[in-house]
This record gives sequence, structure tokens and C-alpha cells, in this order.
Amino acid sequence: MRERAEAIPLQFRDDLLLWAGWLYVHDGLTQNDIAKVMGISRATVNGYLAEARTRGIVSLNIEPSRLGALGIAQALKQRFRLAECIVVPEDDGSRPLVKRLGEAGAGVLRSLLRPGDTLGVAWGRTVMAIADSMSHVAIPDLSVIQVTGGTTATFDFAPERCASRLAEPLGARCISLTAPAVVSSAAARDMLMAEPILREQFDLLRRADKILFGICSTRPDSLIYTSGLIGQAAMTQYHALRATAVVAGRFMDDHGRPVQGELDARMIGLSLEEIGRIKTRIAVAGGPDKVPAVLACLRGGHATILVTDAATGRSVLKADEAPEVSEPQRSSRKIQDMGGKVVRTKKLINDPKNIIEEMLEGVVGAHPRHLRQVTGSPRSVVAVDGPRPGKVGLVIGGGSGHEPTFLGFVGRGLADACAVGNVFASPPPDPILECAKAASGGAGVLFMYGNYTGDVMNFDMAAEMAAMDDIEVRTVLTTDDVASAPADQKGKRRGVAGNFFIFKIAGAACDRMWSLEDCERAARKANASTFTMGVALSPCSLPHTLRHNFEIGENDMEIGMGIHGEPGIAREPLRSADEVTDEILERIFAELPSRKGDKVAVLVNSLGSTPLMELYVISRRVHQRLARKGIGVHATWVGNYCTSLEMAGASISILALDDELTELLDHPCDCASFRAG
Amino acid sequence: MTELSAADLVGMFNAIAAAIEADRDRLSELDGVIGDADHGVTMGIGFGAVNEALAGLDPASADPTAVFNTAAKTFLNAVGASTGPLYGTAFMRAGAALKGRRTVDRDGMVAAVVAMAKGMQDRGKAERGDKTMMDAWLPAAEAIEAAAAAGAPLAGCLQAAVAAAAEGAEATKTMIASKGRASRLGERALGHMDPGAASAVVILQAMAASVG
Repeated sequence: MRERAEAIPLQFRDDLLLWAGWLYVHDGLTQNDIAKVMGISRATVNGYLAEARTRGIVSLNIEPSRLGALGIAQALKQRFRLAECIVVPEDDGSRPLVKRLGEAGAGVLRSLLRPGDTLGVAWGRTVMAIADSMSHVAIPDLSVIQVTGGTTATFDFAPERCASRLAEPLGARCISLTAPAVVSSAAARDMLMAEPILREQFDLLRRADKILFGICSTRPDSLIYTSGLIGQAAMTQYHALRATAVVAGRFMDDHGRPVQGELDARMIGLSLEEIGRIKTRIAVAGGPDKVPAVLACLRGGHATILVTDAATGRSVLKADEAPEVSEPQRSSRKIQDMGGKVVRTKKLINDPKNIIEEMLEGVVGAHPRHLRQVTGSPRSVVAVDGPRPGKVGLVIGGGSGHEPTFLGFVGRGLADACAVGNVFASPPPDPILECAKAASGGAGVLFMYGNYTGDVMNFDMAAEMAAMDDIEVRTVLTTDDVASAPADQKGKRRGVAGNFFIFKIAGAACDRMWSLEDCERAARKANASTFTMGVALSPCSLPHTLRHNFEIGENDMEIGMGIHGEPGIAREPLRSADEVTDEILERIFAELPSRKGDKVAVLVNSLGSTPLMELYVISRRVHQRLARKGIGVHATWVGNYCTSLEMAGASISILALDDELTELLDHPCDCASFRAG
Repeated sequence: MTELSAADLVGMFNAIAAAIEADRDRLSELDGVIGDADHGVTMGIGFGAVNEALAGLDPASADPTAVFNTAAKTFLNAVGASTGPLYGTAFMRAGAALKGRRTVDRDGMVAAVVAMAKGMQDRGKAERGDKTMMDAWLPAAEAIEAAAAAGAPLAGCLQAAVAAAAEGAEATKTMIASKGRASRLGERALGHMDPGAASAVVILQAMAASVG
């Protein structure tokens, strides 16, 4: 901070308003500091700034994500007649949602609590997060009281702990209900409730000024199951009664109407009706799994104040079929229209019903040296000289529409067989089983394919059937798409263009007659070392619908889009090749284990209609960036490797190499679409 | 009808195929919002193939299990994708539940529907609230069991299943998918019914109309 008045800087010589504005907005000085710097009075500074505002020299900008959150909060407030609604803006996803909700909840609670208040407190992860974020500010004569009795749960956000943890920083008297949340019979409950000490506590609780609670869903992964509050049988009953949400141990249906189950008569805690009589009811909840529950709670009017996050808030509005909340143009989250305009795309096809058969006829006709169809199972394509005794068989497969994936990678040194599904749809178990039989050399079979629900089910069924034929099957799913799930949920990721590297390495291991264990290990290592991300510029269309699968604005691109049009990470205005490449590389570099001096392999893949010219421009940038990091490029592939019909766009895959992977990558192979060594 | 023969079950599958065909465009449109717009087409292909296969079955010698097993195998191999294994498993389980019976009475039908829902859940591992066909099938199975326990006749049992499935399908509008390809859509799918849940309602309605 500058101590005293300085001479007027040159650039502001003729414009004191601009100088004042600059110090205020750019340097972030207070009016007092500005007064010191400019050597004028604070009142003059105030005048200057007011004048600067009217003349448009200084304007107040609200950060777009906060503005969006504000809009959602207002819409929720109006639609569900809330007294207040606080919506946490979206961030980059680096901080846990529960922590962000906890901070917001603590702020709201802190501003609401008054001396002499009694605050009822339910329990749960979010309530605990609020307690954890609460600043130490003693509020005179504050009482904090549990809303339900205690539980036997082992987690650290049980009712007693939530209440006491929250009471402490507020310097409040903490009242724990001296009873369990659920007792064994209605009679036991009535007896306990008649006890003077409990009666006194409940009198106090019913007269609470405010109540704080989270909203629990009734989904199988929700906290209510691990709470120790309710058994499986009772839960089944509540499900049958269409229970959607739980607040303070009380169930409600999707419109927030109380659901009375077997448990209610045995529960020691406030009923929904009693909670409804407390004037200020603060609900804090967020997360995609909680949308129906939050909506139910709001529809039932159980909360007067809601603290949530932008994504949940927007989702709740959408689920309630509320009109769209207007949001800033350049939102970090994509808004994507699916099944949008009715266009008739142009394709060179005959009857779409026969398209797969006709394609296969063409493929085997064009590559008779490499491929043949299994007799009686034309959707099973086998390498002409791949399978042999004592060799682990590699079976790949999946939906059509990604050519040359998967067909093109069948051949000696790579995959032994490939099961072909309909467009974007997994093949059924039978052709997969036929592939397993054809590929089996008695040493076991490896199934490898992208991690998609339909593929997993069909391949698993085929594996069970193969086991009945005494063929041992191991499965390695490819999960190389870094955009499809966060790093801590790698198992959820999709398999995309990086399949090429992963299959190549597994195929080489099989061709070297390695054991099933070693082939599987090599395949897993290749999958763990491969990182892919794509960008889409225009949609694809299915042969039998001839309409776009989704819409992308004329000037937009979608970063991280999947190969069936699954939404990516962000929808943004299209930028230059280098900028887009850099953005993709940053995501990949964040996970790439390679250090200076290491080597990688690079694949720049077209999603269908992006030409080689553009792919080479991207490849050039990838090489530049790797060189800058001191990472060597062992080999580069550029072209159509995993497409999405005629989608425009590209993906970049990087395989981190060690000696073993390098050797396997260099191992010769000879397929219809690809040859090495 | 109180006792269903194999021929009646073949008639039931014919009715399902016709109902799916009639609703094909609506189902594909629902899928267009959250998938690749082919759910109606896919289901049509599956039940169309089932129809053809069942036509080749001799109703005099076939038993209910054979009808369901034929439907299972045919549907599975005609469809693939994710609906193939789900309905394939469902019909196979229904066949197993009816093993040894020459005809199907109310309790047999209830057992078959419950086994179908259970089979789908075992195969797909989807839970209630995942915004899938299970949000229709699980309530349907619970409702049909409850109706049977309350002494309702076959028609009443199936009607209860249809009503519960319809309510469950409606509720998928408020859900965010966490299974299958739709799970990549996140909040975009809100306000839209899951196409798998919608077709489940169509199937149950056709069953109720045909054999109830």
C-alpha cells in the first residue's frame, strides 16, 4: 500500500476520474487508501467514483458463475415460496461439494441465529460439514438440541456428535436427547416419551425457533441405510409406499407428503408435522443423487430456507419442469440439446436394416488375407491366421459405427476375433461366444472392449457361456477417456480411441505366447498408461434415423465429448487448433505419469469427418508441447482409428511407455486397417 | 382368464409386439432426448423377432417355460445393446419360475413378473432412482405381489402392476441417470421420462390387456 500522495502518474494526468477508478477497481484500494494515494479527501474520492460510475468509466461486473447461481436461487425462491435461498456457485470441481455446502450453510446459520434462540439440529454428512465450517462466535443464551434420538451408527456424523460439534463454536448449551432414535416397539416409545426428562426435552424441541437439517434420498447408496436407523425389511416397506426423501428420520413421497411406515411409531424424534410448526426451517443439501429428494422436500414445503449448489438447484427446477433459468452466455457447463432439429443427413446407404451385413460383406471381401466370418455366425469376425494352439485368444468388439475400431484391428499380432454389434449397440452374447470359441487356443481368452453398460452385460453373459464350454475368460475394460469421469473414479471412464494402443499391446503379448495372467497384466498396464481426450465440432447421425444425435452451435465445440455424442466437460466457442490442443493436453498431462526423458506414443484420431490436414496441425502442436516437457515421442499415428460415423472432431491419445510396453508396441502385427513391424 | 396356456402366452407376446410397434416413434423420441433415438426401433426389432420365433413353436407340445425361454433367447440375440441382456434375463427367469407347469394361474403370473424384475436387476445392477427401466419394473413387482396377497384376481394384479409402473416411469422425470449411457447426460435428462421405463409400462399394459 502506498503511504502518501504521489505525483499523478502519466497515464492519468488528464483524467483524475480514471485514476481513482483504476486504483479502486484494478488495485483494489479502499476509498481511504485512494484518498491517501491521490492526496485528496475521502469525500472527494467518493464523489470521483460516483461520477466515474455514471460516466461508465467504472462498472461493476459480477462474475458469471455467481450471477448464474443468483438466478437459480431466485427461481427456486419464487417457485417453492422460500423465505431465502442460497446457491453455491459452480467451481472447477476441485473441492468436495459437501464442504462447499458446509461453508455456505455455516454462513447462513451464523447470520440467522439470534441471542436466546433454540436451534434444532438433525444429523448427517452435510450437517456435520456445517458444524466443521462454523466460526467461533459465541451467541448469548443459544441452545442447540438434537431433533432425533441417538443411533448406533459407527460414522462420525451421528445425531449427538452433530449437535455437540455445532454447539461448541457457538458457545451454545447443547441438549442431547436422552433416548435412542428408534426403539423396539411402539409401547417402548410411548413409555420413554412419558419420562419427565424426555418430555421436558421435547417441550423445548417443539418450541425451537429454528431447525437445521439435511435431506436424505432413499436411493440404495444413501446414508439412511448405513445409519443403523432402519433395517432392510422396513426400507422395502417405505419403498413400496414410494418414499423419496428423508428429513430428520421422517419419510416423504415425491410430493413431500408424509409416508407413514412401520418405523414411525417406534421413532423418537419430531414428526414432519411438528417440524413444519418450527418457523425457520433450514435445509442444506446438494448433489445429483439428491435431486428428487430435494424436490420432494420443497414441494412439501418442509423447508423455508434452502442452501444448495447451482447444479442441484438447476436440476431441481428442471425436474419440476420449471421454465429455463436464464444464464450467462459463456457458462462453464454445457447446455446441449439432444435430438434437436429434424435434419435429414446425407449418407451413401441402402436399407439401414442391412447396413451391418453389407459392411461386413465389404470388409471380408476387401481383406480376405486378414479376415473371415465364422460360419453360421456372420457377426463374428476372425483373423485368418491369428488363433493357434497354446496362444491366448484376444477377443474385442462393440457397437458398429466406430470403424476401423473394432474390425480393423483383427489380424495376426493383434486381435484374434471381433464381435460386431448394431450401430452404437453392443453385440449380443452369441456372436461374442462364437468369437471366444474361434479364438481359443486352449490357453484362455482375453475379452477387451470399452467400458459401456451394454457391452459389459453382453460380454459378461458370453463369458459365463464360454466357461460352460471350458474356455477360461478374463476381461479387461478400456477406460482411457479422461473426460468421462474424474481421476478418482477411473473405473467409470469410457474406452475410446486409446483402445488402439491398449489392444495393440495386449495383442502383442498374446502373439508372443505369453500366459493368460501375463497377457491380462500387460493389457491392464496398457490401459492404465493410456490417456485420451476428444473434441467434437459437429454431430453424427444414425443410418436409421438420419437425424443429428445432438446439436452443437454453429460456432461452438464440445471439449471431452464421447464417441456416441456423450456430453463432455465444456461447450465453448471454437478456438484455434493450438488452443484446443493445449486445453486437451493440459487434462492429459495432469494424469500422465511421464517425466522428462521418458517416452510416449501419440495417436491423433479423427472422429470421422475431420481431415488429415487438421489432424497433422494438431499432431504438430502435441509434439511441440511434449518436446517442451522433455518427453520423447517414440511413435505417432495420425488418421481414422476410432470414429463416430461422420462426427467432426478429433481426439488425442498418449501412451506412457516403459521398456516392456515399448517392446510390445513395436511387435509386428498385420490387420486390415493397420500394420506394424 | 384364470389359467393361461402356452398359446395364451404366445398371444401375450404378440400383443406386446403390437403395442411396442404402435408406440415405436414415441419411444424413440423419448430416447432422442437422452440416448441415440433408437429405443423404439430396438424394442420393435426385439419383439418382432420374438413373434417370429414363437410362431414356429408348437403350442400343443410347448409349455409356458418353453415360450419364455424362446422369447429370452430370441430377444437377446436380436437386440444386444443393453436391453437385450436385460429382457433376455427377465424372460429366462420367468421361464424358470414357471418350470414344470402346463398352465399359468394367477400366482404363476405373479411369480413370473416378480422373477422378471429380479432378473433385470441382477443383470443390470440398477437400483431404484437410477432413472432406468427398473424404476418401472421394481414398483410393478412390489405392487403385483401386494395385490395378490390382498386376494385380487389375475386382472386386478396386473392392473396394480401397470399403475405402479406408470407412476414409477413418471417419477423418472425428476431423476438424474446414474446407469448406462444416459448417465453421461447428467441434469440434461431432467424433465424427461426414461425411455426404458416408458417401454416397461407399454409391455405391462399389453400383458394386462392380453391375459388379465
